[in-house]
Amino acid sequence: MSIFAGGYAGQILYVNLSDRSVTKKSLTRQLALKYIGGRGFSSRILWEELPPHLDPFSPENVLILAAGPLSGTPAPSASRLMVAAKSPMTGGIGDASSGGYFAPELKYAGFDAIVFKGRSPEPVYLWVEDGKAELRSAKRLWGRKIHETSELLKEEIGDEDIHICAIGPGGENRVRYACVVTDEEGVNGRTGVGAVMGSKNLKAVAVRGSMDVRIADPKRFKEGIDAYRETLSGEVWTEVLRRLGTPNLVEHRQRLGIWGAKNFQRATIDEWRNISGEAFREKFLLKVMGCMGCVVRCRRYSAIKEGPFAPIYTKGPEYDTINPLGAKPYITDPAVILRAHHLCDEYGIDEQTAGSSIAMAMELYERGILKKDQVDGVELVFGNGEALLHFIEKIPYRQGFGDLLAEGTKIMGERLNAPYYAIHVKGLEVDASDPRSLPTRALTYAVATRGSCHLRGFPYIDEFIKPEEAQAFFGTAAVSDLKALEGKGKMVAWSENWITVANLLGLCVFAWYRSRSFPMLIKRGLEIANELYTAATGLPMTGQGLYECGERVYNVEKLFNLREGFGRESDYPPDRFFQEAMPDGPGKGSKLRREDYDLLLDEYYEARGWDKKTGVPTPEKLKALGLP
Amino acid sequence: MPKQRIGYFENREDPESICSRCRTCELICAFHHHQVGNPRRARIKVVSLGKGEDIPVTCLNCEDPPCLNICPTGALRRTEADGMVKVNEAVCIGCAMCVNVCPVGAITLDPVTGVASKCDLCDGDPQCVVYCPAKVLKLTDAGQLARYRMRGFAKFLQSVGESR
Repeated sequence: MSIFAGGYAGQILYVNLSDRSVTKKSLTRQLALKYIGGRGFSSRILWEELPPHLDPFSPENVLILAAGPLSGTPAPSASRLMVAAKSPMTGGIGDASSGGYFAPELKYAGFDAIVFKGRSPEPVYLWVEDGKAELRSAKRLWGRKIHETSELLKEEIGDEDIHICAIGPGGENRVRYACVVTDEEGVNGRTGVGAVMGSKNLKAVAVRGSMDVRIADPKRFKEGIDAYRETLSGEVWTEVLRRLGTPNLVEHRQRLGIWGAKNFQRATIDEWRNISGEAFREKFLLKVMGCMGCVVRCRRYSAIKEGPFAPIYTKGPEYDTINPLGAKPYITDPAVILRAHHLCDEYGIDEQTAGSSIAMAMELYERGILKKDQVDGVELVFGNGEALLHFIEKIPYRQGFGDLLAEGTKIMGERLNAPYYAIHVKGLEVDASDPRSLPTRALTYAVATRGSCHLRGFPYIDEFIKPEEAQAFFGTAAVSDLKALEGKGKMVAWSENWITVANLLGLCVFAWYRSRSFPMLIKRGLEIANELYTAATGLPMTGQGLYECGERVYNVEKLFNLREGFGRESDYPPDRFFQEAMPDGPGKGSKLRREDYDLLLDEYYEARGWDKKTGVPTPEKLKALGLP
Repeated sequence: MPKQRIGYFENREDPESICSRCRTCELICAFHHHQVGNPRRARIKVVSLGKGEDIPVTCLNCEDPPCLNICPTGALRRTEADGMVKVNEAVCIGCAMCVNVCPVGAITLDPVTGVASKCDLCDGDPQCVVYCPAKVLKLTDAGQLARYRMRGFAKFLQSVGESR
């Protein structure tokens, strides 16, 4: 029986794949109150249990699947599953989250998280049901793509309603950026967690549960749900997301000229209307979808019903499909993008790194650094959709040039002696946008603990915060000025701690982080979220307390990375952004200035309580956070 | 008064007005009746058929309900107000004979209490209808549902006429 009055299932499942032992440990009140759940649990466990400088593919690496305390409750959009391990992409903290149905089902089966250690001598999957778990042979599943794997598992267990997370051939063959896919649709994409899962010979986890996730104070919880929904009704961002999904950002990227197209050689795309949110909606959208309990419903469900690729039925696309598979390799045929997306999901490889790696190779080919005989005789130029699709089918099996592409851009740069063209931070490719004209975005991408990431912080506060709010909250009105540098380090640090809270609770940031006003960020993100957390769990907590948990988790991730040797230099954007000005679009001529960036980073470290030279948290900061 | 039920009113012309598989109906149903998170205790279920097909299924509130007819203990009774068949949990023995005869599977044994469980229309204010973000669930009756179907069919005839 759980020691918690609600929210938590109260048990963590430990699975040792080497000796096939399965044990349950009670979740302690202390871990819950200091780390909350989700990314908090996973980061803490990785920091505590891994020795330094471990090979990410060693059996000693730990793979964690974690739900949040709100997962499985009727709290809005609380469906996120965190999958974490030491990252084969960065060598630092690795994690990736997905929406869908798996995290709630894990709670109904009686577990807040599963921790895998060791390596199975042969392919296995884990079957979890109502407080019990066992490893079973996955020989029949090995080699199968995601959809086939799900079908076979549902058939074997005899239930269409089980929930599954699995790897595809990408993870089996240790494509460095292989992902974990839940229910064929929710992709834990980045940092290569699927490759770690593959290195453990773990093909899938299937789960079914019928146990209650209790709610300590149902009346208050209901009020919290209604208050949360109220903050979202009439929110412009929410309505745009429902209509167009994240591809609504295509128009935004074009308007600001921050595409990062052609491996960051172009800032705009002439044919952008072909690949806009509107275009995908008109051509392919079957319906909008919502993850478990979602009020926003940004997920797309699309079909290609005619033409050479038909039939394809797939979730997506996302903006972060169109960016790496459209903009970066400069593909403007939406059917090719959707086809490439579907293949990435089916093979279980991260489309962001796959598209980025192919785009980098295209640039090297056009520059003559890669010769035709090195790339299997393919005409590997920007805009060649056939080449994109060709290599997406080679990468999962590491065939031909696909073997090098399967390593990601950092290693490609090292092996081809062309690191300048590898556009990554800490080994993870720059996603989302080109930050050369927007220094606070550059800072956000560069300091992110999992490598370049646009969702580790929320730098867009400067777009809507009022000067008086900025003055009161960040101590300078300059935070409300898009061009100013002052106060931005502080703002980025605050936004990282704040957005981390969503990752701890299991809430989706798309129902969380955009807002009409800055006060609404605090109200929804901390105050109402805290109402939901305390009403569900019955534990004592405050909005500020949740924020401090976010800060604690961020610092633990920093400590993990420092232990692996990441110093201040690892918090810099790629060299290209300092060397080359943007060639076109509204930001034409912009590039990052090193002295500006130094200032931003200094202020960021200062706001964090980290040593300016080394990035090491000061003893006072660690003490304040109760670390180590 | 015609017998009430929850009806699924999708609009295939509008991608936002089709069941989006968020399962909010299941979550809020279990929460309303049991104050917990647990969709297996919900009296409505989104059935996923693949290729983006998801259909919410719940009690049809039959005119001549097999569940009520077969119940050996009298635990199922019809209420005056909305004509809905309801379960008296204190009397139900959990024999599942009702489960066997329900044509749509809308009556189940609750996984925690072990007795019969089915839609009760939340005493006139069904929470699934209130919370459905796609607004495709409605409190309705067979007559209204038929007219909605007729309207869809008439539009189809209209489109055939236009294309001639």
